[in-house]
Amino acid sequence: MAEGNPTPDAATATRIVGWQHPLIAYISSAPAMIIVAVFLAFPVLYAAWQSLFAITPLSRETPFVGFGNYIAVFNDPAFWSSLGRTAIFVAGTIALGLTLSIIFAFALNRIVSGLRFIRGLAILPYIVSSVAAALMFRTLFNSDFGFPNQVLEFLGFEGIAWLSNGFYAMIVVILAQVWTDLPLALLFILGGLQTIDKQLTEAALVDGATGLRSAIHISLPLIVPQITLATVWFSFKAVTSLGTVLALTGGGPGDSTQLLTLEMVRLGFDEYDTGTAMALVIIIFLLNAGLTLFYLSLQRKFGMK
Amino acid sequence: MAVTQDHGPAAAAARPAMPRTRRRRSLLGGPLRRAAIWLPLAALVVWTLGPFLISVSVSFKAPAQVFADPGLIPDEPTLDAYKRVIDRPGFRSALWNSVVIGFGSLILTLLIGVPAAYAFARFRFRGRHLMLLFALLPMLVPKVGLMFPLFLVAVELKAFDSRLFLILVFTGMLLPLAVWLLIGFFQAIPRELEEAAAVDGASQLRMLFHVVLPLSIPALLTVAVLAFREAWNEFELVLALTQTSASRTLPYELYLMQSATGIADYPLQNAFALLTILPLILVYLRIERYVAEGLLSGAVK
Repeated sequence: MAEGNPTPDAATATRIVGWQHPLIAYISSAPAMIIVAVFLAFPVLYAAWQSLFAITPLSRETPFVGFGNYIAVFNDPAFWSSLGRTAIFVAGTIALGLTLSIIFAFALNRIVSGLRFIRGLAILPYIVSSVAAALMFRTLFNSDFGFPNQVLEFLGFEGIAWLSNGFYAMIVVILAQVWTDLPLALLFILGGLQTIDKQLTEAALVDGATGLRSAIHISLPLIVPQITLATVWFSFKAVTSLGTVLALTGGGPGDSTQLLTLEMVRLGFDEYDTGTAMALVIIIFLLNAGLTLFYLSLQRKFGMK
Repeated sequence: MAVTQDHGPAAAAARPAMPRTRRRRSLLGGPLRRAAIWLPLAALVVWTLGPFLISVSVSFKAPAQVFADPGLIPDEPTLDAYKRVIDRPGFRSALWNSVVIGFGSLILTLLIGVPAAYAFARFRFRGRHLMLLFALLPMLVPKVGLMFPLFLVAVELKAFDSRLFLILVFTGMLLPLAVWLLIGFFQAIPRELEEAAAVDGASQLRMLFHVVLPLSIPALLTVAVLAFREAWNEFELVLALTQTSASRTLPYELYLMQSATGIADYPLQNAFALLTILPLILVYLRIERYVAEGLLSGAVK
């Protein structure tokens, strides 16, 4: 499929006079523009505006407080601890997600045609909703009958109380997040590997390099753009993850998996502190955009183009 | 075998140095190289299917059996959990809401997305450059950040807890990706076909319906599946914008059920989860190729 580079050939576009009237273009694209503007762009501006007011259910008045809500958020220790947990969650998701998707993609790239169905299989988690995935992982990591504990006990170790221990709960949440988001990252990287000229890797093998060395020194540098894309994807999904964590641990045990997004839901829907919740919404937007720019600049700096 | 893939006879013939390296590898690296491919593949299958298998296994057990019989294959398999899920009024209403909202979002997305994509692909007009921003918006504006603003908008418009509002919101979320995919596809269709039709006096609308759309069925199918999946699986926005069983969809119902039951009824929960996944699996198995390709071309923005 062609990449969506919307540059029409000006000469052919006007070859037939009157073939295309701009008015038709405006009329046919207007509904899409309006719906996206109303439901995607406007809410952000609305949130940014609302975050400048003190809106609480206790008073009818909504005084303008400027950056007061932001200052309140930054002065709240709960914000900093949830930011820290989000950082661990995001870093863990990226580290595990990238490792697995690179290894799996290399293996899938070498697959013989008879096993093509494995690629189809690998995309299956993509069609599972975050809540259903969370529930499957809750069952999987149950401390009484869960499979990991059965294996541990079979090996003579003691089973782990996965979801009632803060450290392990974070691991399970990361695993569930990676499981749901892996398919797309895998497809990105596999797509990158398939564009590599076979002659390059073959030449390396002829020169005596092992498969692993050729993978690390030849293939990996060539797919830096796809790895960056996968990083952006994992990071985006982890920063904005709510359903998985909410349904898996609900932020617990204690508040050991209380991420920034859960904190936003708590402020907005449980404490009705609209102004502060909106400030948090904007902070999450900025965090997400900032991280994306950071990965892109890393690629520009260290990536071999 | 997979190992031979890069040592085709043609490659061997072309390079005289080949036999030496090949012998060395078959002595030393043969089994190791094979393991290097098969081990990750086996891990991939276990990683992907593991959670499904456990879930299916638990869903066919009686609640007490889950603890008494932890094996993968149940001693006394039962459909009891599935029966109890289907008997739940909450499940039935949520299923109906999911179907209505899923198809509603799919249809509206195509109805609005196709003309827009056609205009962007074929017309030159002021404002075309907005399209890139348009396509990038969902990456800049995560859904979790829209929950709260949209909730306030919905309350303001008296559209809270309404299926129609959810359909409109989902359409707004889906349009950028849908339009982006369709533009790519429309641009790949040779312009000459439409010019020939124009010479024959066909109107713009006829051209779209009789020339462009019949050639775009794979793209339309991809967009339809992606749109339906998004609406079917969406949780965050449903959590923010609905309250009663009149508009709640399956993921929210599942979430409520699992957080409401005192002692977790694992078979019931897993049967519920699997029933929500099943329709998508059935569709997906038929058109996996389109979905994979659509995802790729849509994601590489």
